[in-house]
Amino acid sequence: MSTISISHLSKSYGPFVAVDDLSIEIPTGTVYGLLGPNGAGKTTTFKCLLGLANTSFGQIAYDGLALTPATFERIAYVPERNVLYDHLTVAEHLEMTRRAYKKFDVKRAIELLGQFGVDPRKRARALSKGMKTATMVAIAFAREPDFLILDEPTSGLDPVNQRSVLNLIINEATRGCTVLFSSHQIGQVERAADRIAILQNGKLALEGAVDDLKADRKIVEGILPSEDFSVAAYQNDRRIVRVDKQGRILRLTVVHEPDDIASSLSTAGAQGVRVVDLNLEDIFIGAVAPDTSNAVVVEGAA
Amino acid sequence: MPIIMTVDPRSGVPIYLQLIEQIKRSVALGVMAGGEQLPTVKQLALDLTINPNTVARAYRDLERDGVIETSPGRGSFVRGDGAAQTTAQNAGMDVARESFEAAVREAKSLGLARSAVRDLFAASLDRWLPEER
Repeated sequence: MSTISISHLSKSYGPFVAVDDLSIEIPTGTVYGLLGPNGAGKTTTFKCLLGLANTSFGQIAYDGLALTPATFERIAYVPERNVLYDHLTVAEHLEMTRRAYKKFDVKRAIELLGQFGVDPRKRARALSKGMKTATMVAIAFAREPDFLILDEPTSGLDPVNQRSVLNLIINEATRGCTVLFSSHQIGQVERAADRIAILQNGKLALEGAVDDLKADRKIVEGILPSEDFSVAAYQNDRRIVRVDKQGRILRLTVVHEPDDIASSLSTAGAQGVRVVDLNLEDIFIGAVAPDTSNAVVVEGAA
Repeated sequence: MPIIMTVDPRSGVPIYLQLIEQIKRSVALGVMAGGEQLPTVKQLALDLTINPNTVARAYRDLERDGVIETSPGRGSFVRGDGAAQTTAQNAGMDVARESFEAAVREAKSLGLARSAVRDLFAASLDRWLPEER
């Protein structure tokens, strides 16, 4: 078993609230994607999870237990910024990791470095940004952890190596490792993650299984018979989370029964009625775009 | 025969539904025969670079629908009793029905008359199923 639970986590720096009452449950073997605009609180959440920052309020638990020194043997973390020592070689980093942890497969680390094309004899300062990321990834995965916490684990990598990292994550998940990762590349999250959370201003804006979010959320759009057509009925419909109207064009963000809503719109005289699927990027933007979160917005209504 | 599967993770159609649709199509067309083994969850997840729980969900739904059967330790197989083909063909009917629905809805919203829709449909039949005229 390897579950992570975050309950009512809050973290403030002075008056600035970086994370605000965040609760997330991550079951064993899940690949969990953390999304959010810059400054949404992703890295702060990671720091709290690793005890690198004291939580202002709330609890973090691994398998139901608070973080202890023994837990660190089971967690591997790849930070967003480079933490390698400039003057040490990659091989020396491997040796350092081997001494620091009971479990570290040096052969596996060398194999992974080879896969990424990193020369272990090189000093860290001679590595490109991507190769530094690759080195941190190789070290983390060779520890065969129960929990992998990855902050932007593909930054600076070329598309082939990005795909390798995703396949490594998938491989770890199939042996029961629980993975929490953040990425600005939504396409990667869409592939590798089964569940996601979208953070905004430190708060949870949306959470769920990627496939369920896609299955549930649709856009129903159509051209209204006239500009002054009343959309009040749609604003009060609980199946609709957002109403956008510009001139005669109506776009409804629907979470239940899109086909029924489409046919009622058509019956009401709207033309060109269609149901549009939303990908994760659309869902992300819908969740974090300014003043649109589950709000009913009517633009340019006559 | 090994099946070639592709998914578009950037699509708004959930990945597990894309997998189900493709496997049912392969079974309905006989590309995958009864008794044939499917890739393991791990193998398919790695081949397509998609989440393993997503593949497992597709396999569970296919098993519930009677298309495949899974035995612990041996793997997943297309059902060999003909039920798989029937289910897959029915699923094909559903897909076709949805396409018709969407087409007629589109035609209606563009203001086409019933007779015009019927003419379009007849033209499609002549083009794709001319032998049964």
